Amino acid sequence: MRKFLFLVLMATLIPGLMAANAYPAEETIKLGLAGPLTGDQGAFGEQLKNGGTIAMEEWNEKGGVLGKKIEIIWGDDQHDPKQAVAVANKFVNEGVVGVIGHFNSSCSIPASTVYTKVPIPQITPASTNPQFTERGLRNVFRVCGRDDQQGAVAADFIVNTLKKTRVAVFHDKTTYGQGLADETVKGLKKLGVEPVFYTGIVQGDKDYTAVLTAAKQKNPEVLYFGGIHPEAILLAKQSKDLGLNTIFVSGDGVFIQEFIDGAGPAAEGAYISFTPDQEKIPEAQPFIKKFRQKFPQAKEVGAYTIYSYVATNILLEAIKGTNSTDGNKLIDYIHKTKFNTALGPIQFDEKGDVLESPYVFWQVKNGKFVQVQELKK
Amino acid sequence: MKKILRVMVISLWFGFLTFPFMGNHAGLLIVLLLAGGGLWLVITTLRNTKTVKQWLERASFYQQGFQRNLNRRDRRIVLGILLVLALLFPLFNNRYVVDVAVMCGIYICLALGLNIVVGLAGLLDLGYVAFYAVGAYLYGLLSINYHTSFWLALPLGALMAATFGVLLGAPTLRLRGDYLAIVTLGFGEMIRIILNNWDRVTRGPNGLIGIEAPSLGKKFVFSQPIHYYYLILLIAIITIFVVNRLNHSRIGRAWIAIREDEVAAEAMGINTTRMKLLAFALGAMWAGLGGVFFASKMTFISPESFTFFESVIILCMVVLGGMGSIPGVILGAIVLVVLPEMLRDFYLPFMQVDFSRARMLIFGMLMVLVMIFRPQGLIPSARRKLELHPKKDEDILEQKPEFVYEVASKSQEL
Amino acid sequence: MSFLEYIIQQLINGLTIGAVYALIALGYTMVYGIIELINFAHGEIYMIGAYIGIITLGVLSAQGLTQSSLALAMGIVLVVSMVYCAAYGFTMERIAYRPLRQAPRLSPLITALGMSIFLQNYVMLTQGARDKFFPPLFTGGINIDEVRISYIQVFIMGISVLLMIALQLFIKNTRLGKAMRATAQDKKMASLVGINIDRVISITFIIGSSLAAVAGIMVGMYYGLVNFYIGYVAGLKAFTAAVLGGIGNIAGAMLGGFLLGLLEAFAAGFIPPPHGAQYKDVFAFTILVLVLIFRPSGLLGEQVAEKI
Repeated sequence: MRKFLFLVLMATLIPGLMAANAYPAEETIKLGLAGPLTGDQGAFGEQLKNGGTIAMEEWNEKGGVLGKKIEIIWGDDQHDPKQAVAVANKFVNEGVVGVIGHFNSSCSIPASTVYTKVPIPQITPASTNPQFTERGLRNVFRVCGRDDQQGAVAADFIVNTLKKTRVAVFHDKTTYGQGLADETVKGLKKLGVEPVFYTGIVQGDKDYTAVLTAAKQKNPEVLYFGGIHPEAILLAKQSKDLGLNTIFVSGDGVFIQEFIDGAGPAAEGAYISFTPDQEKIPEAQPFIKKFRQKFPQAKEVGAYTIYSYVATNILLEAIKGTNSTDGNKLIDYIHKTKFNTALGPIQFDEKGDVLESPYVFWQVKNGKFVQVQELKK
Repeated sequence: MKKILRVMVISLWFGFLTFPFMGNHAGLLIVLLLAGGGLWLVITTLRNTKTVKQWLERASFYQQGFQRNLNRRDRRIVLGILLVLALLFPLFNNRYVVDVAVMCGIYICLALGLNIVVGLAGLLDLGYVAFYAVGAYLYGLLSINYHTSFWLALPLGALMAATFGVLLGAPTLRLRGDYLAIVTLGFGEMIRIILNNWDRVTRGPNGLIGIEAPSLGKKFVFSQPIHYYYLILLIAIITIFVVNRLNHSRIGRAWIAIREDEVAAEAMGINTTRMKLLAFALGAMWAGLGGVFFASKMTFISPESFTFFESVIILCMVVLGGMGSIPGVILGAIVLVVLPEMLRDFYLPFMQVDFSRARMLIFGMLMVLVMIFRPQGLIPSARRKLELHPKKDEDILEQKPEFVYEVASKSQEL
Repeated sequence: MSFLEYIIQQLINGLTIGAVYALIALGYTMVYGIIELINFAHGEIYMIGAYIGIITLGVLSAQGLTQSSLALAMGIVLVVSMVYCAAYGFTMERIAYRPLRQAPRLSPLITALGMSIFLQNYVMLTQGARDKFFPPLFTGGINIDEVRISYIQVFIMGISVLLMIALQLFIKNTRLGKAMRATAQDKKMASLVGINIDRVISITFIIGSSLAAVAGIMVGMYYGLVNFYIGYVAGLKAFTAAVLGGIGNIAGAMLGGFLLGLLEAFAAGFIPPPHGAQYKDVFAFTILVLVLIFRPSGLLGEQVAEKI
């Protein structure tokens, strides 16, 4: 009986798996988009996916590129470096012309070694670790900023705008979080401020009261956190519960409505560094409108949706501009050209970074992010 | 009639369970379950009709006969064919498939190593990934700081991991069963936490970037998946050969004796302390080898690759395939690496449902199902089968395993 | 803040974490006591409890009940969540563990892990990967000089101690409790004296799962945020706590939970930063290993003869 059921199960599964290879035979231009589409960071993956989808649909409505339709192949790396390499090989194998991704620096970096060998241009919408573009690879680009740029902005803001000198620095011991926190500490030290408390915390824990109590002993005025929003919510809340009178300052990983929803009153007055308001960028308005049409139930556009959209557009522009799908030509073109994107004009330097630091500070006021600083030129 | 009612009750029950999570979709689930139940009823009635039953019995008889004949034939022919197939495999497949095959190879080594500890010696190890990490970081650090050659690092990694195996094994010898499990789990987590926090040496969460790929001479540097494929194939074959010899040696028999009954084994003159330490060391060794290879293949390692979940997956490979059975463990490793990859673009053509998001869900479900239908694993160990079924009498078959097993587990508690 | 106040504050912090671990650990230990299975999916039940709590609370506040009568609303939330968790625990046992009762010992462990992966992804797919938030219903606390303790912390500690005592009494004094102890000691003998083993095991899962529901809701209220992977870390820690106290022993689970919580708090509070907060788990595991080396069956493990 059991054996039979097992056989039936297998018999139904196998044709199903076979069918997985039955791709539409139509000739398309393939792009790859990779990120944590599932798993605990699935929310970010969804943002990337939405941005890419909108760009693809826009181009396809106009008739595609080089006379062919555009197809995006999704690669789920679950923020695991090993899976990122598997995804990269899969992309190469399926003849992907360009890659948007990955999300996490720890995935973008190993995956880039695969893309380099082909070569395929890789534009990350979100990996901010300096190492990504610091290794002398020609095919890597990023449309977002770098941790060191953001750290410098944060240090400057704390010392010169807030005029505070007692800073407690926390980070979540991830590539992103620690990278950002360390760059901020570097910036602070340059301005002559030594953090009074510096520690990593364990990502995924729920209770940080013990370490916050220890920090309280040092009477900090500012609590800087490098990391993403779930921990930020807990830190902001628990520090208020413990009676720490600190200003909460953090980076782009916390710039998400969830932070305000989750931390409630504890989030009020927190300062978060992020790129200038998309609503204020005239070029971004058509995109935001399109997003609202396509996803009417979505509460917010999402921090990385537009980056993914821009990255996809740059790749497609390059294909159109060079009239080819050859990796080397595309890479040269992307290096040389100034793109007019939804984020404003973008030009890459020889490393593949955007030329100017795009970070400004926002503050949480009445349950909303409000930009409180103008971009320094 | 009763059966139909049962199917309906079960469907409604699941509808109730999933209602708060799925809302209206719970109704759809009820319909699906009802349909599935109906199908099952039809199949069971069909199976109970006389002709179909006879037909099935005959088929299973032929199948068994075929297997038995195969066993009697020289197994080398089969192995030879498999080897040729493995050698030709990358020539007919694209780089993605070959890359997945390389991952299979790594996990085969890891699973076979863990099989020594869990399958043969019966020591539940939930922190096996620590040894894998030790191997990987050893090569990573040596390569970045001293440009050590991969070929030198390979034995060094194995040695280092084996040392760590003894270090873990020595204080935990007194522990049994689940207490051992938690200590090994803790050990695995400790190694990961230390790797993540010892910034000065391991560069913390940033990981080690720019590890050198293996090279032959000055000219040939490994770069394509196919190069790694042949290397890991060689390592895997060596692993299989050694583990197989171990399995049939005095040492292997001693391990099995310890697994079945430690007190009796000690009474028979087996030095249980030494044997257990040997199991930990030899098991860890393969993880170290796998780690060195992994680091050279990825050219980047970070603590994220060595989480508890990784240990769990390796353990699943061993148990799913069949503890103590070498072909089983190999199959388990291949299934658990290939299955999530296959589910990566698993679309149901007629429903237009994107299953790529649900791949881990399906993965979890299959793990449960396979275990329910084949609790001994996909390919149970032949020797274990003999141990559990001392007589080939069909009637005893149903009762015997439970009895023997209970005796074994009870006596372990004494 | 004086040094004494600092110690007291850390004590409170540690005891709160400990109470949470202890509550989850109770479920682990009960199941282990009876069928010697590490139920890895128990953490997931806890997560489901928290989710059901949020969903019910959402429905209730839409009806306006949370505004009119908070106590009643909380009561309903608690009951619904417990019922659902019990149902999930019961179903899980029927599907994943009962068919494997006679199988080799590690097989149910694999189904438990499979169940855990399945439930996590099931909740992620149906409820989304984003965090969900408990509305802040209970706020405020007591201040003694600079030491702060919130009402919900008192509540968590109180409830977990209360539940543990109730559970202990239940197992010592009722017929069903006796049946459980008998089953834990020897299944065959128990069935010979007329105990329906399957039923007893089912009931164990039901009780353990409802406790997890309580834990899920309280933790959700305290930290204010729930996501689909909270069960994993909490489950791991609770399992450690259960083993530290002596797995299969209820008082042991409690002791282990509180001890683990205190260890973590004091490690994070007294080892100078950044090492304290980063290495606190290493510290906790080291203590665990040391305890197990000197007492191989946990702190209270000697009473294991009577199990559960």
